[in-house]
Amino acid sequence: MTRPPARRRTELGLIILVVFLTGGLYALAGFGKAGNLPANIGPFLVAIFVLLLVAHMAMRHSAPLADPILLPVAGLLNGIGYVFIARLSHHEARLQAFWTALGVAAFVATLVVVRRARDLERYRYTFAFVGIGLLLLPLLPGIGEDINGARLWIHLGAFNFQPGEIAKLSLAIFFASVMVERADLLSRGTRRVGRFLVLDPRYLAPILAAWGLSLVIFLAENDLGSSFLFFALFIGMVWVATGRAYYLGLGAGLFAFGSFLALKVIGHTKGRVEAWLDPWTHANTTGYQIIQGWFAIAGGGMWGVGPGQSSSGSIPEASTDLIFAVIANELGLVGAAALLAGYLLMVGTGLRVAVRCDRPFDKLLAAGLSLVLGVQTFVIVGGVTRLIPLTGITLPFVSYGGSSLVANYILLALLLRISHDTEQPAVAPAELVSVAA
Amino acid sequence: MPDPVLTLLKYVFLAVLYLFFLRVLRAVWVEMREPKAAPPGAAAPVAPAARPAHVGPEKLVVVSPEEDRGKEFPLPDEVTVGRAGGCAVLLARDTFVSQLHARVFRRGGDLLVEDLGSTNGTFLNGKKVTAPVTVRKGDKIQFGRTTMEVRK
Repeated sequence: MTRPPARRRTELGLIILVVFLTGGLYALAGFGKAGNLPANIGPFLVAIFVLLLVAHMAMRHSAPLADPILLPVAGLLNGIGYVFIARLSHHEARLQAFWTALGVAAFVATLVVVRRARDLERYRYTFAFVGIGLLLLPLLPGIGEDINGARLWIHLGAFNFQPGEIAKLSLAIFFASVMVERADLLSRGTRRVGRFLVLDPRYLAPILAAWGLSLVIFLAENDLGSSFLFFALFIGMVWVATGRAYYLGLGAGLFAFGSFLALKVIGHTKGRVEAWLDPWTHANTTGYQIIQGWFAIAGGGMWGVGPGQSSSGSIPEASTDLIFAVIANELGLVGAAALLAGYLLMVGTGLRVAVRCDRPFDKLLAAGLSLVLGVQTFVIVGGVTRLIPLTGITLPFVSYGGSSLVANYILLALLLRISHDTEQPAVAPAELVSVAA
Repeated sequence: MPDPVLTLLKYVFLAVLYLFFLRVLRAVWVEMREPKAAPPGAAAPVAPAARPAHVGPEKLVVVSPEEDRGKEFPLPDEVTVGRAGGCAVLLARDTFVSQLHARVFRRGGDLLVEDLGSTNGTFLNGKKVTAPVTVRKGDKIQFGRTTMEVRK
């Protein structure tokens, strides 16, 4: 290709701005914390520039027409997240740097391997089994591991990995392919009961089976955040596939019922809800984390205390679950709002990709992937700000956590692949009639 | 470094952060304002070049009727199916096939089949072809009474 499309040039410009922003923030955090420039600022700048450039070149090569803003915004979130992790823990920063490189590698690999998003449709049951298999892995004795009461990790040698993160993508692809095929059957009843036409449950069976099974596994692993994410993804995708709003109502009802059940049965849930409704009576136990997060957000005020200058050491899980509170503390409402604007732009762009799609599978998959990103952000930011009960889930691209980062980069690559497919006209209408005439 | 300088730099950082988002919004805005037909139009000259024809040429293999089974038709970029002499996929013996029945062609790495107003129709996996549709390896296409399978 002789000249890169305008979209790629826009992307490169934004990436350069991202490198400056991240580098500047890293330097500022170093000054704020220790009073001098971080020792490794040079290698740091080179590393983020090279990583983003590799991703950008992969886009030029295999998805030149894709959307220009998704990659830079993800890079910015990743960079800001890294600076805050590095500020909290050197050990975690080293690991996060490794995972970021792996994430970019996964991004490039996904773009290169998945030449057309619709090819994924053919492997639907493979994806279903892979997804369920990955979800089951942590329950295996020997490699599974409990951390903070949730059994989500597997450890291989020195590495901990949360296979559930990848499983979400796998199952989203499965949902999309099955629902597209049956969208008509799901949107109107086909079986007569008395005077009414109702849905034939047979058509929903494989999806319900996969979905029910994954919910049960999540609950067995005590992962409430992921079960909610999964539930919302499922209901949202059925809604998009059928265009019937009553699925949303049905979903809300089912969710209320499920929450009630979980509250009665799982002790873990009860503690979370109590800490949410009244953190102060549990200020030294379950409410401690939320309250420390509050203090951090409130202490940040409008403009923040400045990068590297807070004493967020008192927040438990500061680099994962509560990283949003740390960022709000140091960059203030203004900085935290910018972070949220980043997510809003990514989700909005994802949905715009979905709207522009011609193929129903691509459309549904793009909508589903955007939904994963949006719901995940909502669950964790809502949890930290006490809008909803706090559950352990990562803030996409920002939180410390390797599997989540890799999974989100794959998600990004899939969205960009769909975006490229959409912009590329399969058949120009004028050419179609030329022989028939 | 003195505190006021750090504070100033913090404001500078936040300002540049918002500048970044303004640039992003501008990129979105520019695309939204484009006339609707422009993106496919602008991309059209690029698209065919971007997809080299390295996608292994599939072929059509007759599955039924019995007497023609196994007969192969290679598929270059475009073939016409019919009973007329010029057709690359010539089905002269099947009287249910129209003179100019259908065409199978390649666009952007895809193989498509289009019915050209035949009397008895073209069917892809049993479904009537009304507009150009993508075919894949393993698909069965029926022209008249002849059924063919796409193979690689």
